[in-house]
Amino acid sequence: MSRRKRLNIILNKIRGKEGNIIPVLRTVPLFEGLAFRDLKKIELIVHERTFMPDEVVFYERQPGTGMYIIKKGLIKLTKTINEEKAKIAELGEGEFFGEMSLLEDYPRSAQATAVVKTEALGIFRPDLFDLIERNPRLGSKILMKLSQRLANRLRKTTEMKFKEV
Amino acid sequence: MEKNEFQTLWKTFEIIIIGCVLFGILLVLYLIRGLLTPFIIAFVITFFLSPVVDYMEGEGINRTFAVILLLILTLVVLFILWELTWPTIQTEISSFQKNAPFYASKIQDSLNQAIKLLEKNTGFIPEGVMQKAMQQRIGNLTSGMGDISFLLKIVRKFVVTLILIQVIVFFFLKDGRRIKKVLIAYVPNKYFETFLTLIYEIDRQISNYIRGQLTDALIVGVLAIIGLYLFGINYAIFIGAVAGIANLIPYIGPLLGFIFGVLLVLIDTGSIIHMFKVVGVLAFVKLLDSIAITPLTVSRSVNVHPLMVIIVISVGGLLHGVWGMLLSVPLYCSMRVSLRILYRGFVEYGNW
Repeated sequence: MSRRKRLNIILNKIRGKEGNIIPVLRTVPLFEGLAFRDLKKIELIVHERTFMPDEVVFYERQPGTGMYIIKKGLIKLTKTINEEKAKIAELGEGEFFGEMSLLEDYPRSAQATAVVKTEALGIFRPDLFDLIERNPRLGSKILMKLSQRLANRLRKTTEMKFKEV
Repeated sequence: MEKNEFQTLWKTFEIIIIGCVLFGILLVLYLIRGLLTPFIIAFVITFFLSPVVDYMEGEGINRTFAVILLLILTLVVLFILWELTWPTIQTEISSFQKNAPFYASKIQDSLNQAIKLLEKNTGFIPEGVMQKAMQQRIGNLTSGMGDISFLLKIVRKFVVTLILIQVIVFFFLKDGRRIKKVLIAYVPNKYFETFLTLIYEIDRQISNYIRGQLTDALIVGVLAIIGLYLFGINYAIFIGAVAGIANLIPYIGPLLGFIFGVLLVLIDTGSIIHMFKVVGVLAFVKLLDSIAITPLTVSRSVNVHPLMVIIVISVGGLLHGVWGMLLSVPLYCSMRVSLRILYRGFVEYGNW
């Protein structure tokens, strides 16, 4: 065995195993390009939740505290329009929702319901703020990605409005 | 049965179950209350030290290493302080031990005289009744204090539990977040977000309060000791330490510290000048505390009306003595914030 390989094995033992959360976090655009060390820190604030078919993840207008990343399963997003529930999206493995609640304490804009048995990773505002205080460098990277995503969404909405006009 | 009726019944059942679980937890805590003291002390130390560990972690130091480093540093500082102050503390304790029977008999004599005077002047209390009641209540002070000082017993007990507290603090600081995560993993999905916010807010309220009060008490205690020492008062460390510790109780605490200092000096020397020196030093420290220290240390603490604080402390003292007085304000704040969050989550948004 070469010296480099042996060194890698020792380093991996010190760093710890990847587990089953870090590979999912890697697929999320918010955590793109983050080092293993940083992902390990995020893993500490991730809460694993399992939802049964038809179980509500959160209701519309409920005060939101965080986002969910789908590890396995299917989530349906619905919105009440003219007193009737309309489906606005269906999200699958690796997709995430509720990220706006990471930034502010604003009521949820839609209801999220599990279609089948769904495993999700929840990241919540109090833990994220705590992480930002403890690791400002990592926190600024996450906030930067979040801002880019929101800017992107705002640009798309503006373009759509222009097209309508 | 209608679906809606069934849902209402199920929700009521859920509330009863949650209530039973909470009651069970409280009952278990009450039953093992004797074992809780090291944990409570470890909790307080953890709240006090965690910002330092967080800061070190933020600077890129591994958390485990940061915790070990901080605990070693704390032990070194405590050892240096101990070495520096031990000769004076030893003198104070042995002097107090030697004079304790004399102080006790003096206190008992004064109380007896006061009671006799009261019985004589009121007229309706039969002679000797109050005196007998007092003796039943406080026993024989002279023999009680003539024994080895109760302070030494407390110190000895503390040294024994110190190692246990160190171990608990180490794990709380290192794995506190992991422990919290494992514990809240059992909360049902429906209540999870509300519960998480609740835990975070309670944690914030309690940690801010404890950090603020401890820093404040430490500064007040050190300043009082220095001031009393400079004025050549006997038992400077003892009176200063009691003033600092008493300062942990808002509003009522400083008054207790004052009374203790004045009484000890009066019993010890009987000198009015010494009494004024103690009053002057403690009043100056309190003034400095109100103007400069409190706004810096407790400013981020809880925002409660002073009158409410006094009521809450009185109720706490009535129910659980000194512990009740110390813990009543953070407990009140936690309950207040819990009710606010629960009301918002469950009632306002109707996902009950």
